Amino acid sequence: MSSWLDYTINGLIVGNVYALVAVGLALIFGVSRLINFAQGSIYLVGAYIGWVAVVQLHTPLPLTIIVVAVAAAIVGLIIERFGLRPLQNSVRIAPLLATIGISFVLDQLVMLTFSPNPRALPSQLPDVRFQVGGGTIGPLDLLIAGVGLTSALLLFVFLRYSKLGWAVRAASQDRDAAMQMGVDVNRVNQAVFGIAAALGGVSGMLVGMYYNQIDTAMSLQATLKGVVAEVVGGAGNVPGAVIGSLLLGLVESYGVAVFGTSYRNLFAFLLLVVVLVLRPNGLFASARQAPPEPLTGTFIAPSRPVRIPRWALAVASAGFAVLPLFPVSFYVLQTLINAWLLGMLALSLTLVAGTIGQVSLGHAALLAIGAYTSALLSLALNVPVGLAVIGGGLMSAALGTLLISPSFRLRGHYVSIATLAIGEIVSLVILNWESVTRGPIGISGIPPLSLFGYDLISPTSIYWFSFAVMVVLALLQGRLLDSHLGRSFRAIRDDDVAARAYGLSLNRYKSLAFIFGGFAAGISGGIAAHLYSYINHETFNTQQSILALTVVILGGLGNVVGAMLGAVALVGLPEVFRIAAEYRILIYGIVLLLLVRFRPQGLLGTM
Amino acid sequence: MTTSASEPLLALSDVNTFYGQAQVHFDLSITVARGHIVCLLGGNASGKSTTMKIILGLVKPRSGEVTFDGASLIGLTTPQIVRRGIASVPEARRLFADMSVRENILMGAFVRNDREAIAQDLDRMLTLFPKLGQRLSQRAGSLSGGEQQMVAMARALMSRPRMIVMDEPTMGLSPLYVDRVLELIRTINQEGVSVFMVEQNASLALEIAHEAYVLQTGRIVLSGPARALKDDPRIRDAYLGGSEAA
Ligand SMILES: Nc1ncnc2c1ncn2[C@@H]1O[C@H](COP(=O)(O)OP(=O)(O)OP(=O)(O)O)[C@@H](O)[C@H]1O
Ligand SMILES: [Mg+2]
Repeated sequence: MSSWLDYTINGLIVGNVYALVAVGLALIFGVSRLINFAQGSIYLVGAYIGWVAVVQLHTPLPLTIIVVAVAAAIVGLIIERFGLRPLQNSVRIAPLLATIGISFVLDQLVMLTFSPNPRALPSQLPDVRFQVGGGTIGPLDLLIAGVGLTSALLLFVFLRYSKLGWAVRAASQDRDAAMQMGVDVNRVNQAVFGIAAALGGVSGMLVGMYYNQIDTAMSLQATLKGVVAEVVGGAGNVPGAVIGSLLLGLVESYGVAVFGTSYRNLFAFLLLVVVLVLRPNGLFASARQAPPEPLTGTFIAPSRPVRIPRWALAVASAGFAVLPLFPVSFYVLQTLINAWLLGMLALSLTLVAGTIGQVSLGHAALLAIGAYTSALLSLALNVPVGLAVIGGGLMSAALGTLLISPSFRLRGHYVSIATLAIGEIVSLVILNWESVTRGPIGISGIPPLSLFGYDLISPTSIYWFSFAVMVVLALLQGRLLDSHLGRSFRAIRDDDVAARAYGLSLNRYKSLAFIFGGFAAGISGGIAAHLYSYINHETFNTQQSILALTVVILGGLGNVVGAMLGAVALVGLPEVFRIAAEYRILIYGIVLLLLVRFRPQGLLGTM
Repeated sequence: MTTSASEPLLALSDVNTFYGQAQVHFDLSITVARGHIVCLLGGNASGKSTTMKIILGLVKPRSGEVTFDGASLIGLTTPQIVRRGIASVPEARRLFADMSVRENILMGAFVRNDREAIAQDLDRMLTLFPKLGQRLSQRAGSLSGGEQQMVAMARALMSRPRMIVMDEPTMGLSPLYVDRVLELIRTINQEGVSVFMVEQNASLALEIAHEAYVLQTGRIVLSGPARALKDDPRIRDAYLGGSEAA
């Protein structure tokens, strides 16, 4: 059994690893006010380059570190130059979305190149441990500490004594003023992306060595942990990021010591939400510091939506409604059922992200709440499935809104981080609350859909049912958008300061949007649970949240018809072109990138 | 290249600027003669700061021309424009709050590489702004407004500019500091630096300016030698009109 000292050492070592990721995030946020969601992917790339170097090229350790740092830096430079620089004059959300797209692409490329199976990454260091006090410490611990301290020192010298370092600091405090001193912000961006990527890549390699295992799931976890540490330390604050990382490492390590391993991440995200709510500028920011976010709209691309005549919508709906009467294959119906379920989720997200401007990255949590509620109601309490699904919608509306409400006071990118964290928390609570959710085993034997006592088992009936539900939700949402309430939503999105000045209560309207959106997403999750008959804490994951976001952007943020069209396109087109499953996420990532770059208003325009 | 003394140092001609749909400048034309102090007056939201941003390349005009020393600035990036010899004292000073006063002043010399001359210029700033001597290692954000204004001016001078553009340099300062700032602007100008300044306080600005322009919701409504404008009743009218529109 490990001692407390061991947990402390472990916490500090892990914290050191987080720091390497978080410092990069802080540098980038400082200069560009951007949360780089691709940071974890660079960490992943670093780990695999390390694997290639160690296992295939047999490089000695110091050379491995250099190879990883340089290669990762090059990836960072490419991301900056081709992924982000073209978006400089784009809407504020564009770079954030681009980094999400880039992370999908990088992760998938790694997965396709190296297969998703975990690999061992030997550390090349002797496996001995020294006694220190009541604990032990090994050469790898010392290496990680050494790399952490050396990087911190190098970074300090760079920022304090080099001209480019001054430019980085100046640009992160006041970008326009720095430009007026002659600072070329592109070079500064290049520098911070290169440095952030080098540090992130080395961090990924060290973690791989620490656990002697690397796999593609590392990426998202690293991004999340880095973001937590960075925000805890104060977004954009480099020393704060280091302290935030060490704090996070310790909190996790002690949390694991007391409650067990499956709680590790829960502590991380709870820490994040608590900090975001109580001190959104981080633990070390001075109180007067203005939050580094835009005060007003311009968060989504303004555009004139494509007006689709009512008759065309009616014809299209009728067409989809009668489709099962024709001899279409089971496979086509199955695909479209998935599209309708995703369409419901997209309706929910397009309202929340598009109409009221709260770009949620944790929307799958609403599916999970709806699915678990409906499954448990029908299984444990024998509630008829039709009612159970509605119960799932209501629970998702209520609980989802309650869970999200701490983030109502946040803006812009912070909303995205908070919703991402809340989404993770929901999935971790499901994992750990075994008495109700059956924990990691999941829930099986969920009864099939039924309506007024008739089981809906044939694909045709399921198709009609889910299509009808989606259309009803869409009509309701259309009504909502045309109402006074809809106008208030958009006013809040476009200028929350002005909206508040007009006397609109932001919390109330945000709650209403999430209640409506939560209901639609919960219904989708509920139906899905009864279709799948088995769900667990990973059925509804971040990948789905991002997929939904891609759908919504594809259709046009806030656009109801666009949400449904986007769902059909994104689910349907890969089937039409018979794209193999392992390439799909890659395609989604590329679609997101292309959209952000060339058509941020989506197919049908934002509303 | 022949630069005749009569050719203006800076010229904006027929500039039209938009933020999205909203037009901020309507055929704006302004010239700054070599060695002169030119003042742009106007009420709130009349487009003064935007004029500065046009000169510095922070905002691009939809049409019109901006030339400095005979060469067009259109299409150049802000750092490129700064390297041509235009320094700035932005609205609300915009110091690098978490950097020291020394670092802030030295940031002004970012476009230069002559280390020794930079060190000399730093000393010169301390004679020009003696109060800053004791504050060099202090966080710039912790200074008083007046002191920050001194730092911003020193920072601008450090690039050895040919022209300084200043956005409301006296805003929020105590009367004592206002006089001091105006005095310094005059000193800077006498050392050969042309000055283009934006002001709301007409009577103060006209004290030191050679020429002045009055901007009202994006249009120049009045211009001429400062001495003539000082007694012009229309200055008052333009003013009232400008602030009512805001
Ligand atoms: N970035 C921007 N986006 C959209 N509109 C802007 C932006 N900056 C300024 N404006 C608008 O342009 C107009 C002119 O602004 P500007 O800052 O140039 O005025 P000003 O004369 O400097 O005002 P003040 O005396 O308040 O400093 C204002 O109506 C302002 O709201
Ligand atoms: Mg102004």
